[in-house]
Amino acid sequence: MKEKKSLPRWAEMTLTMFKIGLFTFGGGWSIVAQIQKEFVEIRGWLTKEELLDIVTIARSFPGIMVINISVMLGYTLGGVPGALLCAFGMALPAFLVMTVVTACYTAIRENPWVARVMVGVRAAVVPIILSAAVNLWKTAIRDRTGLVIAGMAFLLPLLGVSNILVIFLGGGAGLALQTLRAVRAQKREGGDGE
Amino acid sequence: MSTILELFLVFFKIGACSFGGLSMIPVINEEMVRHGWMTLSEVSDIVAIAEMTPGPLGINAATFAGIQAGGLLGAVAATLGAVTCGLTLCLAGSVFLARLKGNPYLERFTYGIRPVCIGIMLATAVNLRANYQGTGGAVSIPALVVGLVSLWLLVKRNWPVPRVIAAAAALGLLLGGL
Repeated sequence: MKEKKSLPRWAEMTLTMFKIGLFTFGGGWSIVAQIQKEFVEIRGWLTKEELLDIVTIARSFPGIMVINISVMLGYTLGGVPGALLCAFGMALPAFLVMTVVTACYTAIRENPWVARVMVGVRAAVVPIILSAAVNLWKTAIRDRTGLVIAGMAFLLPLLGVSNILVIFLGGGAGLALQTLRAVRAQKREGGDGE
Repeated sequence: MSTILELFLVFFKIGACSFGGLSMIPVINEEMVRHGWMTLSEVSDIVAIAEMTPGPLGINAATFAGIQAGGLLGAVAATLGAVTCGLTLCLAGSVFLARLKGNPYLERFTYGIRPVCIGIMLATAVNLRANYQGTGGAVSIPALVVGLVSLWLLVKRNWPVPRVIAAAAALGLLLGGL
């Protein structure tokens, strides 16, 4: 039996990310599932726990979640070059496919049949956003404070406040409130001990 | 040249304000309309197209907006802008991975960020109500029907998003003449 010629690790890493980027639809979790299959199960290059740590931290960093995960995965597998290669491999297919799709979209959008199709497609976008918000609800809003923050974040943009400002106000509020709570809880415990 | 630089900077900003999945849409929406690079309905189109094509939404949106505003070079600049924040922060994060694990400050920050994502997504849904209006601002019955059917397919039937979009496209073709 002819032995399969093995690629150097950096090349295999980049190609695998390219393959995942090319064939995985729907972003987010479906891509994480593919990464787990390719790198944990098939190649054994990192453990399930390592991947879980990466995903948890990458998710709390700003940026495109899948790219964040690719960077941290690549760094774990091959340092800074690994991080750059994995991010490149993941981003390239989306870039290439979208270049073609955009050209087609611009060419055919004026066609009356396409215009009809787009009326339907646009009508589906609000439900898609709504269902994404509903799916996120359970993990995102853990108590009444979270509910109040979500309510403010809903109203402020409608009153003309920029989304970017709202995002960082929310992060700041979370940081301040939770730190305050932690300090109070610590004081209470300390008080009991005296 | 200035458009290319602007594309890079705007998508850098979008990347820096994204915390997972569709919560990126509100910021994309705001910036694209403000710069006149896309209309509200084009933003809706790009969300649908991004869900039907492989890869992350952020890259898809950057490529699309970049080409529209500044050709292929614009697309490269926008895509690089979109990944720069994550690339630099996550590289730094990887070095300190052990120390970041279970870091209370990171957790407290995301405690506030996640509800915000839901709030701004819902506000964007309200802003996109133009998707249900025909020319002149009257409510478009076909669009409303497609919207309600899509919501039912997503929530009650648990259809995957690309399939829902395909169904919405077919319904639009069928009802569009009404």
